[in-house]
This record gives sequence, structure tokens and C-alpha cells, in this order.
Amino acid sequence: MEAERILRRIDFPLLGAVLGLCVYGLVMIYSATQEAGGGAQMTVFFRKQLLFILVGVVMMIIIGFADYNWFSHYMPYVYGVNVLLLIVVEVVGKTTGGAQRWIPLGFFSLQPSEFAKVFLIVSLATFLASRKGVMDSPRDVLLAFAHVGGIIILVAIQPDLGTALVLVAILMGMLLLAGMRLLYFVPIILVGVLLIGAVFTFPILHSYQMDRLVVFINPEVDPMGAGYNLQQSKIAVGSGQMTGKGLMSGTQTNLHFLPARHTDFIFSVIGEELGFAGAVVLLTLYLILLTRGLRIASGARNLYGALVAGGIVTMWLFQILVNIGMTIGIMPVTGIPLPFMSYGGSAAWTNLLSAGLLMSIYSRRHKWGSEAQVRASGLGPGAVVSKGRAG
Amino acid sequence: MASFKDDLSGRFAALGIIIFVVLGVLFSRLWFLQVLAGEQYAELAEGNRIREISLEAPRGAIVDRNGASLVKNRPGLAVALPPTAITDKPLISRLSALLGVSPQEIAQQVNEKRADPLKARIIKHDAGIRAVSYIKEHRELFPGVEIESEAIRDYPNGTLAAHVLGYIGEISDREILLPDFKDYALGDIIGKTGVERQYEDVLQGVKGTRRLEVNASGRPLRVLKQEDPVQGRNLMLTIETSIQAATEKALDQALASARDQEMSNAFAGAAVVMNVTNGEIVALASRPIFDPRKFLGGISKRDWKRLNRKKSYYPLNNRALLSYAPGSTFKPVTAVAGLETGVASSTEDFYCPGKWTGMGDDWPKYCWNRSGHGGIGFVSGIAESCDTVFYEIGLRLYRRRLEELQAWARRFGVGAKSGIDLPGEVRGRVPDIAWKKAFNAKTPQYAQWMPGDTVNMAIGQGDVLMTPLQLANMYAAIANGGTFFKPHVMRAVMTPDGRLAAEKYEPVAVRRLKASREHLRVLQEGLRQVTTDGTARSAFEDFSLEVSGKTGTAEVAGKDDFAWFVGYAPSSSPKYVAVVMIEQGGHGGSVAAPAVRSILAALHGLPTDMVEAHDESR
Repeated sequence: MEAERILRRIDFPLLGAVLGLCVYGLVMIYSATQEAGGGAQMTVFFRKQLLFILVGVVMMIIIGFADYNWFSHYMPYVYGVNVLLLIVVEVVGKTTGGAQRWIPLGFFSLQPSEFAKVFLIVSLATFLASRKGVMDSPRDVLLAFAHVGGIIILVAIQPDLGTALVLVAILMGMLLLAGMRLLYFVPIILVGVLLIGAVFTFPILHSYQMDRLVVFINPEVDPMGAGYNLQQSKIAVGSGQMTGKGLMSGTQTNLHFLPARHTDFIFSVIGEELGFAGAVVLLTLYLILLTRGLRIASGARNLYGALVAGGIVTMWLFQILVNIGMTIGIMPVTGIPLPFMSYGGSAAWTNLLSAGLLMSIYSRRHKWGSEAQVRASGLGPGAVVSKGRAG
Repeated sequence: MASFKDDLSGRFAALGIIIFVVLGVLFSRLWFLQVLAGEQYAELAEGNRIREISLEAPRGAIVDRNGASLVKNRPGLAVALPPTAITDKPLISRLSALLGVSPQEIAQQVNEKRADPLKARIIKHDAGIRAVSYIKEHRELFPGVEIESEAIRDYPNGTLAAHVLGYIGEISDREILLPDFKDYALGDIIGKTGVERQYEDVLQGVKGTRRLEVNASGRPLRVLKQEDPVQGRNLMLTIETSIQAATEKALDQALASARDQEMSNAFAGAAVVMNVTNGEIVALASRPIFDPRKFLGGISKRDWKRLNRKKSYYPLNNRALLSYAPGSTFKPVTAVAGLETGVASSTEDFYCPGKWTGMGDDWPKYCWNRSGHGGIGFVSGIAESCDTVFYEIGLRLYRRRLEELQAWARRFGVGAKSGIDLPGEVRGRVPDIAWKKAFNAKTPQYAQWMPGDTVNMAIGQGDVLMTPLQLANMYAAIANGGTFFKPHVMRAVMTPDGRLAAEKYEPVAVRRLKASREHLRVLQEGLRQVTTDGTARSAFEDFSLEVSGKTGTAEVAGKDDFAWFVGYAPSSSPKYVAVVMIEQGGHGGSVAAPAVRSILAALHGLPTDMVEAHDESR
């Protein structure tokens, strides 16, 4: 039956987790943007995010039914669009808070660095898949770095240090999954340490970025300045205790002690208003999302699909770690949004597009497509074709 | 061909492990933060959102014995500035010009380190209605400036009874350490002197609190809870306004009259009026006076300096409670001691040649009357204040027992606080062997108690010191037949609506003088004759009231004579005693006695005009 075939192509735990996260995020944005004593109302943030999510879910469904191999086929165009958007934002971008990250489009501002993450995943996966799971020459590694280096630099100079770090994490994760010799991580880590040393030695970072790093190391340095946000966030999360203060009843949130309530610090709102219980629900949704993602990666029909799925899982995992870690004081304060939760159209769409890619990879895990289709993907016969049922 | 999965499955498994590790770390950290340390963070969150503001309680009012207002509160408006506004230079200069407070003073108030950083600081108490309306009508010129209503101490009679009432001010760094003020906070207004200080616990109300919810910028959003302040209880004093006024007027006139009599340094003095039957202080005054209104909202540095320099005779001193050489007003002690010990008799005839050589020709002493009183009886000796008589009695007392006179002085309350309910009372001094030895420790050749020391003391000279209050108390005991009451100014504690509260003062008889009725009667007769035939007869000429009393003209090294008069009336059944002391005022009979006459006249509804009087005695 056709309907049954379609249903079998859908990963319901993944879909459930994604939709659950979207709803959870909308509820928290609704709650976080209420004004004390104002009475509950549909805030402009909530309404815009609702629209972003609805549009994003449609995108997810379209991508989910499309063939992800298409992106591999048109890899140079994907790469070109990515670079072009990042150059456009450098030229006409809107500057907010000292960083030039947005292309104003009237109704909303496009944030190319968000899309850069998923663009990078699909283009880098194409390159890595062409190595056929064997990366044992330094040349391959250097080529991979060359592939992403320009994009990371374009993001970093906006400056958007957080997203640049996400891109580095994606690179590392995908190199690992693509079978790079583990020995190569040694020089990569050494160079990384040297770069970090250089960051602290030479005036590369903006002063506010430097402050954040220093404050992360010792939050008591300047409690009313850069350490203030971190301290208030910890108070918000901690004061939520086991079951929280209730939606729209978070004092840290509604009385504005908490900064960036609906964006970077949305997790603090969950911690305060819904407590440890609400945080565990969120972590459980993420656990489902990530493990389903990993399962899709390892069960993918071809290496390209596996690397795309693995890259997406790495991206989310890194963002979850750094964002939640930041709000509870175990990671530095960097402007990395929490997947599916933080307010923002570009981020919502990036995440839903990524989820759509996972669904597409899942739906094509079986050899139900023709050999010709696989060939059309540009990967060539036999390279990544699995025998029999995967996963 | 091997599937990529076979080669890379280990890599995917590794990513799976990383997922579990990351989520596990976040889970553990959240467990610690929210479950284990949650309560601490909950407290911090409450501390963030809740501000407690204390609401000042108005002090209790003070009324006189008839309920007439002495100190009350009137509503005032204070101008306050939040600490954040201090950087607004144009605002500060506008406020400075409007309120007449220098920018430096504003900065000092607002930057006060110990104050609550979120609470607006008052920069001007009792700002005039014109300044306040200007601020209210030009809000845009005064962003953040707050107008707070406050209770201002009001003195309907001006400076009247200022030394009894005292003044109020912000608690000092030193005072806050005292056990009396352990529940006080910096910035609290307390009584500094007088009954304001003595009855601080009665007058001070209970502060209220207002719990506010504030947002991150400190703006109050709503009142969570409010406890209204409770006004302090009212105090009824034994002071009678009309007598206090008459007493102060008499004191001022005595000072003026002394200066008329070429006593050009007469600017200070004191007066005490007491009910001899129960110790109630009806009036108590000191000169020079200070204005308690100058302390409201903080006294200016200039005014404070003016109140604390020699040139202005230290107006804050309550001289009724400070000690002086009593001069001849001390003679009743010697007289009673002589009679009681039997070294003198009321029927004894003394002879005063003007020069007394009781201690040998090498140590002559002189009566104030150099030409001598001639043959003089015991009673006339008191009336005429004949020094020879008292030298002689003093020497006999010394010979009987070295410290006989000292023992009698102490029985009369000299050298001990009377116990009045006012701060600042001193003990005075009974000079004795031990005191002289300690006093002259560095000059042992002068450290021995000599017969001449007792002889000097016998006429109230030498080293004996008494407060005007002690003299009032001593003469009250003489007048009432030997009972010493604890002098007091508090009559009752009232509720704010004027009803009597639980506390009502009952007279306390501290002790009885162990002297025979007969001997006291001899002394009373002597004191009666002072105003009829003795040193104060000119001051009490044609006075319809029978007055008993004693003049004193005390010699003070390096200064003009201090004038004293202590008198009680009516002589037959005494009701009130009045003391007047004029520093460097000259003779007691001519300067102090007319003032006492005027005060006693006021007490008995007689004309209070000052009389001109004449006295040469010492």
C-alpha cells in the first residue's frame, strides 16, 4: 500500500522529538517575553517565531521527501551560495551589538552564518565522501581544511565567534566520522592550542569577547559587568529547584534580571520556570533527537548521507553543550543558540532544514531507489552502496 | 566490497558515547545546581527581586505638665535624589541653586557609602513649599528627583526649655556602638541631649517596613507587604510652661542686671525650680541658650562651631547640672553639722571682729565684712552669712573629726548625682583627705589635708563643688523637714491621642537627713531672716511672700565672683525652691536674689518685675 510505504519512510521518534522541541520552544518564548504585571499576551516574538516554525516545518517536510543526494550533485553551487551570502552580509549587513551578522529583508533579518552551518555540512560531506571513508594522507586533511577555512574566517570576522566555533566542531566531527587517521588529531589539536594561545597573547578578539572568556574563568571578577549575565543565569536555573516557579512566574525572567531571555538564555527560563523536571524533559527530547540522528547516520544508504547526518548530530550536540553549559556556568558565554528553542528565524530554519535532511536520509535508507538514481547522485556505483538492509 | 559501515562503525559508536557523556554532564550539573544548591539560588533570586524600605516613625510629642505643647511634629517635605543621578551635572547644579545646598554637600549625602545604594538619599529636609512646587511643575528638569513627606520636629515656644528638651540628630558612628542603640541603623534620628535623649525609648517609634518587588533596573513594581510605622509615645513633663518662661526671663534679666552692675563677663548662668514636696522640676534653664531648630536636618558646620567655642560660652552645656563653688549657699551644711555634733549651739554668742585668727595669728582669715559683725548669734550668723561664725564651726568640726564636715556634706547630697532624669549631670565634689592626696600627687608638699581646708570648705569655698540642681535638692530637703527626693522632669508617658499610658511617675524619696527637727528649725529660721534682716533683705523688700533662702558669692580663681541665691517659699509651708546661679555675676544678694524673687512671684501669681537690690556679702 502506498500509504503504508510512505509511513514506513518516516522516523516517528525523530519527528516527534523535533515537533516536541518546536512546541516547547514556542511555549518558552511566549513565557520569556511576558512583561511583569502586564497580563499574558501574544508577544511579537512569539508570533514571529510561530510563523518561522510553521514555515520551517513545511521546509522540513519538503526536504524530507526530497533526495538529499541532490545537494551532493550541486555541491559547487551550495558552496558558492554559502560564500556569497557571507560576503553579502559583510557588505550590506546590519550591525547589531558590534557584530555584522544580518541581512535585512524587511519582515526579518537573514543570518547567513546560521545557514552556513548546514551548507557547510552538505558541501563538506560531498568532499569527504569522495575520499571513500579512507583519509590517510595529510593532503586529504589539508584539502578538507581548505574547504571550510574560508567559510570559518568569513563567519569569524563578522564577528560571530560562536558560530565559527560550531563550524570547527562540525569539521572535527565529520573528519572523525569520515575515517581520518586518529593520529592526525594530534597536530590539529596542537595547532588549536597554539591558536588559543595566540588569541590570549595578541589583540585578535574584541574586548567584549575577551571579557567573556575571562569572566568564564572567574565569574566573580566583575559581577555587575560581564559576569552579571552568567551569575543571573545561574541564579535563575538554580532557583527553579525541582519543579520550577511555573510558566510566566519566573522572577529572574519577568523582572529582567536574566539577559537575552528568549534567545541565548532561553534555557535559563526553562530552568527557572519548569525546574529540574523541565530541564530533564528537554534533555530527553535532545537525547531522542541525537540518538535517532546517529542511528540515521550509521544506517544511511551511502557515506554521503552518513556524513551529512553525522555532521548535523555534531552541530546540535556542540550547540546544546555550549549553550546549556553557558547558562549553568560550565562553558564560556558565547552567542550560540539552543537548537529549536532560542528565538530566531534563521536558526529555526537551519535546524528544521537539518531535521528534513535527516528524514530524507532515513527515508532512503533502503535500497528502494534504482541504481540509476544512485548513479545520478554523482557518487558512482558501488562506492557507498550497502548490501541489504542497513541499521 | 566492504561497506563503509564496517570500517567506520567504531567512529559512529564513539559519537554515540560522546552524546551520552555530554548529556550526562549537563544532567549532573543541573542536579547539583537545581536540586542540591537550589535553595541557596532561590534565596539569591528573592534577594534580587525584593527590596525592603524602612518607613520612618514620627517621634512622640512632648507636652508640659498641663498638656501644653513643648515639642511636636509638623509635616514637612524632603527632596531626595537616587544615587545614580549624581553624575547628572546640570541636574545637580539646578538642585543646588533651588535648594541652597552646595553641590559638594549633595554629593556627600548621595555618595554616603553606608547608605542603601538603591534608596534615594535626602539632600534637603523640610524643603520649602516653593521649591517643592517648582520641582513638581518642572518634572522634566528634575528626572529621578523624589519628594518624600517627613515629620519635622516643631518647637512652638522656640528656644524655651531647650536644655530640658534637648535636640535630635542623626545617630553618630560612636553612638551606634552603644548598647542603648543596638537596634538602630545608620541614618536614624535619635535624641542627642535632654529628655529627647533620656526618653529616647519612649519617644522613638517603631519603624515600618515596605517590601517592594523591583525589576532588574531597581524600579519598584508593586508593594508585596507593608507594615505601617508606629509613632513614638508622647511624654508629659513636670515643666510648667509659664514658670519656665518666667524663670528664663528672670535669668536673662539677672544676666543683664549683672552686666549693668559692671560685671562685664556675666553671660552664663542657670536656674532650677523644684517642688520641695515631691522633687518635680517645674522649670530648669541654662544660659546661654541654643536653638534646637538649628539641628533639624543636620546642623551646619558653621553653627556647630559657633556652639562649641569658648567665646560663645558653650551654649550646649546644661549648667544646671554642672558643678561650681557654692560659696555661702553651702553654709547650712556647716550649720547643721555644728548643731548635730554639738560643737556649736543655736544659743551660742560668737564675736566677729572682721578678722578671724582661730588657726593662730600667722593664719588669719577675714569675714566678708572686714569691719566685723561684732557680737553675733548663731541664727544671725546664717542671716548675715558671717564668715567668722562658720570658720569657727568649721575648725571645731575639723578638730572633732578630720572628715566630720565631709560626712555632713555627703548627707546633704554633695558629691553624688541627684539622679535627675536628664543626661549630663555631674557629681560635684566633696574634698577630703584622699581626694587632696590624689589631686596633688605630683606636689606632695601640698597633698596633706590642712585645718584651713576644712575652714575654707565651711563657707563653701576651697575645693567643694556643687551643681545648681544639688543646691535645689538640698534646700528642698531643708524646707520639707529632711526628705531628699529624686528630682525628675518626666510626669507621665502618654499615648499619641493624649491619654495616660501605663507609666506615671511617682515621687521617690531617696533618703532622709538624719538631723533633729529642732536643729533644722534653727536653720530654717536663719534662712528666713536672710530675706528679712540678712544679706537678701534688699532683694525681698516689700515682697508679700515669706521667703527663706541663702545668698552666695563664690570666689573663683581667675574669674569674677559667681552669684548664687537659693530660696523657697512660703517659709511656713514651703512648696517650691528656686536656685539662680550667675557665672561671674557678682553678689548673690544683688544679682541672683532678685531673679529668685521674680520666679517665686510667678509661682504665686505676684508681679514679677525685677527689683534693684544691694548686697556686699560673700
